[in-house]
Order: sequence, then structure tokens, then C-alpha cells
Amino acid sequence: MIQYAGIALFVFGIYGLFVNRNVIKIIVSINVMEIGLNIFIISIGYVTGSSLAPIVSSTEDLGLVYVDPLPQALVLTAIVIGVGTTAIALVVAKMIHSQYHTFDLDEIEESV
Amino acid sequence: MNTILLIVIPLLAAFIALVAKKGAPYLLLGAGLFNIVLLFFLDTGFTFIGGFDQAMTSDLLGIALYLDTYAKIALWLVNTLIVVIALLNFKAYKQYGSVLLLSMAGLNGLLLTNDLFNFFVFLEIASIAAYLITVSNRKFTDTFHYIVMGILGGSLFLFGVTILYAMTGSLNMIVIASELETNGQYQDVILPFIFIFIGLGVEVKLLPFNSWVKGVLASSNTFSGPMIASVYAAAMSFAMGRLLTNLLVFEGALLTVVMTLLIIGVVAGDLMAFSTSKTREILLFSSIAQASLIALLFVQGIVIWAVYLIIVNALSKLVMFLVINKATHAIGSDEIKRMKGLFVNNKFVGLMFTLATLSIMGLPLFAGFVIKLNFLTSLASLGQTMVLIIILGASLVESIYFVRLLVRLWYPGEETLDMKYSNPFKFVFAAVALILLVLGTYTTPLYELDDNIDQVSEEVIHG
Repeated sequence: MIQYAGIALFVFGIYGLFVNRNVIKIIVSINVMEIGLNIFIISIGYVTGSSLAPIVSSTEDLGLVYVDPLPQALVLTAIVIGVGTTAIALVVAKMIHSQYHTFDLDEIEESV
Repeated sequence: MNTILLIVIPLLAAFIALVAKKGAPYLLLGAGLFNIVLLFFLDTGFTFIGGFDQAMTSDLLGIALYLDTYAKIALWLVNTLIVVIALLNFKAYKQYGSVLLLSMAGLNGLLLTNDLFNFFVFLEIASIAAYLITVSNRKFTDTFHYIVMGILGGSLFLFGVTILYAMTGSLNMIVIASELETNGQYQDVILPFIFIFIGLGVEVKLLPFNSWVKGVLASSNTFSGPMIASVYAAAMSFAMGRLLTNLLVFEGALLTVVMTLLIIGVVAGDLMAFSTSKTREILLFSSIAQASLIALLFVQGIVIWAVYLIIVNALSKLVMFLVINKATHAIGSDEIKRMKGLFVNNKFVGLMFTLATLSIMGLPLFAGFVIKLNFLTSLASLGQTMVLIIILGASLVESIYFVRLLVRLWYPGEETLDMKYSNPFKFVFAAVALILLVLGTYTTPLYELDDNIDQVSEEVIHG
């Protein structure tokens, strides 16, 4: 069920990307999209009815059902990359504002 | 010697360059040359990050790097071009040393990794460096557009990879390919394949995912132009070729849709180049057409000629973007009519530019001719007559706009353009022209390799 929430957020984010003309709002849309994607990735590792940590202490534990730990590791990396790209997008947004004194892409196109 | 050094050394140098800014260009030069030399000593095969000794099982646990002839050719090309571009822009853009080192690490990782999530990570690292490189254009809205498209493409790629992981339980390209071959239902993989194709299509400049290209390359300089149109275009095409050859097997209606998109990309790219009056736009639209053509060859399984096309295209575009962007900087405009007679006082540069252009057009005596002849023959033998006719038609349009450009640049206009190219630029132009001429006349080395240079499929077959 949670994966549908992730997909919905991802779609909302993409919708925001295409609808908004404000640079900051576009960056927020990117973040919404990335959060949706991260939730989706986490959801694929979840195993119904399992609340065990993925630590095997002995061979006898192998019969137990564990949550897949790999998607959690992937999401951690994806979050870090997301923060990096968001930071660059914000730096460029600041440069745009310094050059045109606005964040609105329509106003910038008119002035150019 | 370990394959991982190809990524680690530039990455380490990038961090050192942040602290020792004056030494950044020398670090870049050192790391680039180290990588080029190291490639001679590295054996082909797998390298497992972290030295996990049980990794070489049937599931290929852990993150695996895979070095084969395909990856070696790509790495040599990319590292050499980065070093050349860095040397030519040593003074003008020396503050970009750490960015170039980051891009070197990212692109090397992208070409080496066999793990799809790791591929995404390196794709993002290389993309971040590319965004920073385009900042040098001082057109921030275009850079922002590129960032948005790049993030969207990267996210779709990751979405596709996640679905494949959920289906197969692995991120390793070889494991996924063999898993899909034995157990996969083709209908199940259509969605992730589409997401991965779109995600890479953004970076490779495939229509209709390339809306960022015009803004970025139409305002490029002698640094950003060759980096994006030559180095990144080549690296991303190699990376996409790897996936198209081994993983993204298109069949039925999906194959028809993908082929149609790629053919439209070739035709539209050449028609847009034909209709513009700006020199940089001619080059960038030509790049879009070439990118679609390369992807089309990979989809059809014509690997070796696609690889040669990437190399020749990267070398030719390096010369063309350097010549045009330097002239644009001096003249203040990239309109063809303002550049009339550019080569009247620059006959040597003009000759080298002409040789690079004739090679892209595919005229005899140049490497471009041999490549074009062979991939057209391969397409004919595959029964793709319609595709062949369309590509020939697009080549005709390409020839017309390039000849028109050459005529304008050679014949004097109302004003006499008096600008000079420095000797390092001339040396690079001459070296590229010589390579294109030698490979066009002495073709034996081109036939020594075949479609099996990509050995991932061999690994899949042999388990």
C-alpha cells in the first residue's frame, strides 16, 4: 500500500515541475518527487508480517523472514545525492536572482 | 594495480584540489595521465569493491566493476579528451580543476560499473560536475533547466532500476540480464525499460528528452562546449550502449516505438541544423542527430560501428566546437553571416575544421566514410531498408548544411575577420585531423575488433 503513496508523491512532483514557473517552487517539486521515489524504494524492501532487523547471528536464524536491508542502504545514498543536487539547484537559483532580480521564469523570459 | 584506482585517484585529487586551488590544474593533468597509462596495465575482468572474497558467486554479490575492451576504449577516449580540454583552457578556466576531476571520477565510474544503482550514483556525480561546467556559460536559467531535466532523468532511471531490483533481487547487470532471460516475462519489464531509456535519453540528448541542449550548447565556450558535446556525449553514449546491448532488449511494439523515436531524432536533428542561421546551433543539432543515430545502431546490435561512430564524433565535435566557440568569443556573435571569411586569414585552422566536417559528413578518405559505409551495410543485411533510406536522406541534408557552412566560413564577407588561434589549439586540431585521415585510409585496425568487444553478454552466457 505504501508504494502507492510513493508513486503518488512522485507524480505530484513531476506535475509541479511542469506547472510551476517559479525557480524555488520547481526545486520544492523536485524534492517532493525525490521523497516519493525514496518511499517507493523503501517499500519494495518491506516484507509483510516481518519486524525483524536483518541481522543473522546464527545459522538457525536463517529460517526467519527479514526485511530486505538493501533498499534502506540505497535510499540513504539517494537522499545524499538528492541533497547535493538540491544544493546546486539552490546555488544556481541564487545566481539567477542576482542576475535578473526575480525567481519567476516568465518575467526573466520577458526581460531577455 | 586495481581498476578502482581509475575512479579513486581523480576523486581524491578533486578533494585535494579544493584545498590546494593553485595546484588543481596540475592535479588534473597528473590524474588524467595516470589513468591513461594505468589502462595499459589493467587486466580485463571483474573487480569487487571492498574485496569481498565470496563475491564471485553466481549472484555476484557486492558492487562489481567490469573492465573489458569496450570499457577500455571508452575510458581512453574520455580521459584523453578531458586532459586535452583542460590543457587548452589551462588559464581561462583554471578554477574548474576540481570540477573536471569530479567529472573524470564520475564518468570513469559510469563506464566501469556493473551495478545499476552504482551506475545511478556515478551518473549523478558526473551530472553534478556537468551542471557546474555549464555555469561557465553565465546563462543561469539554461543551467537551471539542465539541472531540472537531469534530476528528472536520474529519478526515472532510479525508478526503473528499483522495479528491476524488486523483480530480480539483484542490481548487477549480468545477474539481471540472465535472470530476465531465464525467468522474465517481457511484459513485466517494459515499464522499467522505458524509465531507464528515458532517464539515459536525457543525458544522451535523445529527442524528445533533450530540451536542455539548445540552451546549454548555444551559449557554450571553449571549455563547456567540448566538455558537453564531446566528452559527456561520448561517455553517455558508451554507457547507454552498454545497457542497450546487454539489458534493454526491445521487442515488438516497444521496439517499433523506440526505433521511430530514434529515427525522428536523426531526421529532426538534421532538419533543425539545416534551418538555423547560427553556427553553434548547427553543431548542437548535428550532435542531437548523431546521438540518436548511435543509439539506433546499439538497438540494432551494430556495436562496433556505433563505438567507432562515438569516437569519430567526439573527436570531430571537439575540433568544431573549439574553432567556433573561440571565434564566437572574439567576434561576439555566432551568426553565420558574421563569421563569413573566418578561415581567410586562418587557413590552417580552416583546413583542419574542413577535414573534421568532411569526416562527419562521411566523405571518402576519412574515418567517417568507412564507419558510415559499414553501418549502412550492416543495416541492409539486417533488412532495415526503410531505416537505411531515411538515414541516407538525413545524411544528404547533413551534407548540405555542412557544405553551406564551410563555403560561408571560407569565402570573405564585407568585413575581414582578424583573429588568431594559439599553437596548442592548432596542434590539437592537426592531431585530430590526422587521426581521422589515417583511420580513413588505413582501415585495417578498424576491422580488428568486432561486435564482441562488449563482453558482458559472454559473461551472461557462461554464467
